[in-house]
This record gives sequence, C-alpha cells and structure tokens, in this order.
Amino acid sequence: MKDIMRAKCLISAEIESLINQQIRKEAQSSAIYLAMASWCDRNGFDNSAAYFFKQSDEERHHQLKFFKYILDMGGTSISPDITGLKIEYNSFREIFEDALDQEISVTQSIKSIAARCHKEQDYVTLEFLNWFFKEQREEEYKARRALELFEIIGEQGTGHWEIDKHVGKIHYGSEA
Amino acid sequence: MQVIETIDNPVKLQEVFSTKSGSVSQCDQENCWYIDFAGKVSRFDYRCLLLLKKAVYNIDIEALLLKNAKAADIEIVFICASDHFYVLSTLEIIALKELLQGTFAMLELNHIIQDRLYRLAV
Repeated sequence: MKDIMRAKCLISAEIESLINQQIRKEAQSSAIYLAMASWCDRNGFDNSAAYFFKQSDEERHHQLKFFKYILDMGGTSISPDITGLKIEYNSFREIFEDALDQEISVTQSIKSIAARCHKEQDYVTLEFLNWFFKEQREEEYKARRALELFEIIGEQGTGHWEIDKHVGKIHYGSEA
Repeated sequence: MQVIETIDNPVKLQEVFSTKSGSVSQCDQENCWYIDFAGKVSRFDYRCLLLLKKAVYNIDIEALLLKNAKAADIEIVFICASDHFYVLSTLEIIALKELLQGTFAMLELNHIIQDRLYRLAV
C-alpha cells in the first residue's frame, strides 16, 4: 500500500500543529511590539518607538518564515487572529521587562518544537529551526541589554532620556 | 459497498481499517480513500480526508451527550469544498470518530513500515 500521507506532506500533524501555534506566537509578538511602539511614541520616547517598530517587523518576518515552511512541506498554515492586546503600560521600564518576557517565551516554545522534532527524528524541521535559535540569541540579548541600561544609567533626572537615546544603539555583534 | 469498479479499468482497493459500522479503503491508483459509512461510499482525496478528520475530531461528543434540548441529536458534518457531507446522530459520530482514529493509526503504521522496511532497504 502506498504511503500517500508521506508523499503529500513531509512534516507530521503534530509538528504542523506546533508550528501553527508558533505562527500565532510570532504574530502576537509582532502585535505586542507595535503596541509598545505606540506607547513609546505617545510618551515621547522616539528612539524606543523606532526600536519596537523594527522588532515588530522582525517578528512578522519570523511568522512568515514559519508560515511558508509549513506550506512548502505540504501542510496547512493557519493565519491567526490576535486579540486582547495590552495598550497601556505603567512605566517605561515595564515595557522592556515585558519585551524580555515575550522573547523568553518565544525561545521556550521553539525549544519545545525542537524537542518534538528529536522525538520524531524530524531532522529537516530541526535544521530549519536552527536559524531561529540563532535569532533568539540576538533577540534575548537585545532585550536584556535594554533592561541593563535602566540599571547602569538609572531612572532619576534625565535617566529616561538617556536610556531612550541608547536603546536605538543596541547592537548584537557576536559572530559565534 | 456501492459499485466502484469498472470493467475496463478495475480500481484496486486495499482495506485500511474497518469497524462494525464502516470501513476505509485506499486506492493507490487514484491516491485517495473510499469511506463506506452511514449507507454510502464516498471518495476522499488527501486534503478532504484531513478536513473530515478535523471536522469530526472537533465535535464535542461529551457536550452532545449531556445536551438536554428536545431537538433531534443530529449533527451535520460539512467539509468545505468537498462533494460530501454527513448528517449523523451522536452514536454515528462516535462510530465515525472510531473509524477515523483507527484509519489514521493504520496509515501511520503503514508510514513506519514503508520507512523502516522499504525506504531503507532500497
């Protein structure tokens, strides 16, 4: 008997469903970063707003990468609906704390897809995920560095203005 | 089972899984499956079979069983862009779900056998 299921689709139903969940997560991240950009812009933190606009674009790019991967492998990508976004933040610092939390949760969820790939011996998807792991290293570094600025510069006096000035300059230069 | 063979071009079917209430057979020539259930034989290609699975698995059987409404316990299983739909009672839904679960387990088993025995050997 022919293995029609395998001929039509490279990835298993479980991996497909996990990647679809990841698509939702990336779309949510992208939307959250937009909300953060909006808050920063409204409160006069222009550099941080620009930083979050860029982050939002990157998350959208990640979402599309996952989206196209499922389609290329013969599966069904699902365009997610995103609701319940936070619009207001209590402080400038809270935004960066939320951003780091968001990145950590994205890393964790990609790790769980990789764990499933190992279990199924799906080395094709695993190889595809490697790019995201490298990307997450950079994303987490940037989010952590932004929070570090609050410690180093301090929030008194013109602290927020200084932090905002430096957020735009955060750069991850590791070649490793 | 309805007649699904023609004299000129006999369609060879292999049974994938069957229960008391129905059966699923695979046709290698047409790359499709024939589901014999609820008094009719329907042809499903890869995409439609997955849609059927999703539609049936998404039915909350527990909610159907606990429903107190006086209306008949009938569910319409409609598959988008497919020629088929089912109008089923709760018991038939349970039977169809059982049939599909067995079918997908057998297809998975076939995949494992193909991988381990044939693809590695060639």
